[in-house]
Amino acid sequence: MTHCTAAATVARVTGPDAAPLHTLTDGALAHAVAGARAGEATAAESELYRRFAPRVRLYGLRHLRDRGAADDLVQQVMLVVLERLRAGEVRDPDQIASFVLGTSRMVAVGLRRTEARREGIRGRFELREPAVVAIDELAVDGARLGPCLAAAKERERAILLLTFYAEKGAGEIAAALGMTPGAVRVSRHRALASMRECLETRRSA
Amino acid sequence: MTDAGHLSFGELAEYWTSDLSPDEAGRIEAHVFDCESCAHLLAESETVRTGIGALAQAGGFQAFVTESLLNQLAHDGVRVRSYTLDPGDRVPCTAWADDEVIVARLRADFTGVTSVDAEMRFETGEQWGRVTDVPVPEGASELLFALPADAVRAAPEAPMHLTLSAAPGTSGLGVIAEYVFDHRGARERTAH
Repeated sequence: MTHCTAAATVARVTGPDAAPLHTLTDGALAHAVAGARAGEATAAESELYRRFAPRVRLYGLRHLRDRGAADDLVQQVMLVVLERLRAGEVRDPDQIASFVLGTSRMVAVGLRRTEARREGIRGRFELREPAVVAIDELAVDGARLGPCLAAAKERERAILLLTFYAEKGAGEIAAALGMTPGAVRVSRHRALASMRECLETRRSA
Repeated sequence: MTDAGHLSFGELAEYWTSDLSPDEAGRIEAHVFDCESCAHLLAESETVRTGIGALAQAGGFQAFVTESLLNQLAHDGVRVRSYTLDPGDRVPCTAWADDEVIVARLRADFTGVTSVDAEMRFETGEQWGRVTDVPVPEGASELLFALPADAVRAAPEAPMHLTLSAAPGTSGLGVIAEYVFDHRGARERTAH
């Protein structure tokens, strides 16, 4: 991106005729951050953070299997992403999603390797409270989830409990229930779809 | 995949299972990082996953379970009280104040049976609960029925009959076994 184009993007993002940030594409936001002088694109940075922090946290929850470590991952990754964008070191801001994912993979490897670093990171970086709380706002309380789990078919309820509580794979569940692994996965899909529908109904009610 | 090219809730929830290959996980990640609504749905599936885990850990479910699930409950420090019954048995049963899950080990000859229905009735004939299509693995000699201790504490103090029958349309025929839980309500331990 040339300096002129970047400046035009920043003007679109921050100027009097600025489009609301939430309407911009991820790429446009990344360009805005990349083309801005220090302190000029705070709103765009915040919006970028709001969008990607929850995704990085989900990645961290799967790969690090610890909420604290996932939160650390968010802070590290978003810091790297914003710094690299500001420094003009992201080759293609239009592909910012790939860049954030790649950075998440790289940082997660490091976090897994040196668990001891975690404590230091908390003290070193004091980013503003991230938007990752958005995930927890979705929290399904037991009062809604309990009846939905109870409403599931017996076989599907067993599969959900074995999958998400006992953390068993389809092969092991299949052996325990006298099914095939494929049938377990199909039943699980069906059960999850029903659970979601039930939760949605209770949420609206 | 949905019509709009997004991943379905079921596909996204697979992300939290141990069944996903690294390639499949990578495919989901690439999609989710590029799609805010899919990230939202993935977050929702994560709350369902953790919600089910929390509910199980609190003993807040009723289900036919496996030994591995009971092992997980034990690992998590959940207080489980078990009753073992052979066909025709009548056992005095109760739930103590600190019990969290009650498990009935229902022994029977399940030869040739792939799935059963279970029905619980009071002696008056009033039905207390019924579940259908409980899977029976080959070679099983007992089924493990878990229920929240709270539900047992709240149940009327009366004999409860549990009947296992071969599920219609599956292998096996008719009633397989009957058991009676002579329910004595909730019990408190007292200091002597």
